[in-house]
Amino acid sequence: MSKNKKSRKLLEFIRYFVIIFGAFWMILPFFWLFSASLMTPEELLADIPKWLPAKPQWSNYVEVLKRIPLLIYYKNSFIVAGTVTLLVIITSSLAGYSFAKLRFPGRKLLFRFVLSTMMFPVFIFLIPVYYLMKLFGWLDNYLSLIVPFAVSGYGIFLMRQFVMTIPDELLDSARMDGASEFRIYISIILPLLKPVIATLAILTFIGQWNSFLWPLIVTTSAQHLMTLPVGISRLSLAFSTTETQHLILAALVYQVIPMVIVFLYLQRYYIKGFVLSGFGNI
Amino acid sequence: MKYGSSYRKTTLAGYVFLAPAIFFYSLFFGFPVIFSLIVSTKRWNMLIPLSKARAVGFFHYKYLLNNELFMHSLLNTLMYSLITVSISLTIALILAVLINNAKFSILWRFIYFTPVVTPQVAIGTIWGYLYRPNNGLLNSILKLFGLKPVYWLTDPNVVLFSVMITAIWAGIGGSMLILTAGLKNIPQDYYDAAKIDGAGPFKQFWYITVPLLKPTLLFLTATGMIGAWQVFDLPFIMGRNAPIKSIMTVSWYVYETAFQSLRMGRASAGAFLLFCVIFSVTLIILWIFRRGGIEGYE
Repeated sequence: MSKNKKSRKLLEFIRYFVIIFGAFWMILPFFWLFSASLMTPEELLADIPKWLPAKPQWSNYVEVLKRIPLLIYYKNSFIVAGTVTLLVIITSSLAGYSFAKLRFPGRKLLFRFVLSTMMFPVFIFLIPVYYLMKLFGWLDNYLSLIVPFAVSGYGIFLMRQFVMTIPDELLDSARMDGASEFRIYISIILPLLKPVIATLAILTFIGQWNSFLWPLIVTTSAQHLMTLPVGISRLSLAFSTTETQHLILAALVYQVIPMVIVFLYLQRYYIKGFVLSGFGNI
Repeated sequence: MKYGSSYRKTTLAGYVFLAPAIFFYSLFFGFPVIFSLIVSTKRWNMLIPLSKARAVGFFHYKYLLNNELFMHSLLNTLMYSLITVSISLTIALILAVLINNAKFSILWRFIYFTPVVTPQVAIGTIWGYLYRPNNGLLNSILKLFGLKPVYWLTDPNVVLFSVMITAIWAGIGGSMLILTAGLKNIPQDYYDAAKIDGAGPFKQFWYITVPLLKPTLLFLTATGMIGAWQVFDLPFIMGRNAPIKSIMTVSWYVYETAFQSLRMGRASAGAFLLFCVIFSVTLIILWIFRRGGIEGYE
């Protein structure tokens, strides 16, 4: 019995050791980023890497704002991510309601089609969609960054799953009272969808905020539209001289912090959507 | 036909509500797929009208399959997807089990999940600093143990692995979260029964947890593979100083060919080859899925 207890204690010790060891490596890069963003260029390049700055250089955070148009990147990222999120919610909830509760020929086939679109790699779409943007004359404005993402297969799927759980009787009694389908959508469906809208909104927003490839392609010819990830990736090219290294790190902190805070604050919704995305479309 | 007379009304509404999505999919899905297929048989630089571009048939496909750089990128992506997906899933599974019911489990999950919401561009840049040859943190730790410095991002034999380490680091939290949700679905009775029969924690893991998580694991393998085959951000950010053959992925090849060299035909052909690979990988995984059977636990 006591031997059993001992081995159980040892197992518990190993368990927490592994968890904490892993957690240390997860935090380390973030810790280093924050610490190094407060260092002087000399400290950053010291032969023996330093873990902490001798004296925190908070001025790095001010200087980086003066040297690069970080606020413009922020504004662009915010406009793009915000508008895409709004559009995705509208189009997904409309389509989700339609797929879940309205009866019409071709419904199943169309829904299968929406699901299958998620399997296509984005690389097939880069050239044709870029060509369309050029054709429409949208390459020098936000539309080229927003419109191609206005509908999301995942969003439609998520909304449909959720609308299915709303009892038919609720909608039927509204129809009996003479409410139009649009009226039902606005005053019954949307209010009930609030939690799943929050989930989809935060997933979409973070996804767009972090998106890199498409903005990289579009903004090479339109630098005033650069979003944060593109701007900062450019930075590490342009600032690769030694005396500006510390500014890249400060800029990175500016990029990483807001999303971590948003995530901390809205964790519940994000995790729900993330897990649903894992189970849903088997 | 539950609604009787209201059926016709809902039919119309059904289409009207779908109209934005249908319009979108024809413009940004249907058109691009067909357009891409046509472009892949032409020599086109996007500067002249497509109708004036010279038709070359399957030349681009043949060219790519005989092109050393493209084949290298295919090989790199194959290695990348197999290794990152399998290792990060294994680590995620172990951690999910360890953290489930542990003290402070919410805190641990948050810590492991943070990289998932962090932009890949930022992750690549931060790790780029950690990987610096002379004054990077990782080499200084190696030095502590008396080991030689590694040229993480410039040595052609190492760079792909360095990027994989970062990708695994960044991907663990996501899979872990989904596996945790799967773990919560396993009834506690199973474990209680096993304990009465004298099964230790390892036996319980191997004979209860793993089989019952199989659907989740297979699903994560499938989505992980589809994602990994399209990997772009990390290699592109971290591989700039390495010999291109050692780190270029298929997606990077497509991007470079299309938007740096303006060879739209060749790039489209590359994108379709990538699609074929992803499609076959998905089919294989689905096949394993069906063949292996999914043990339900309801």
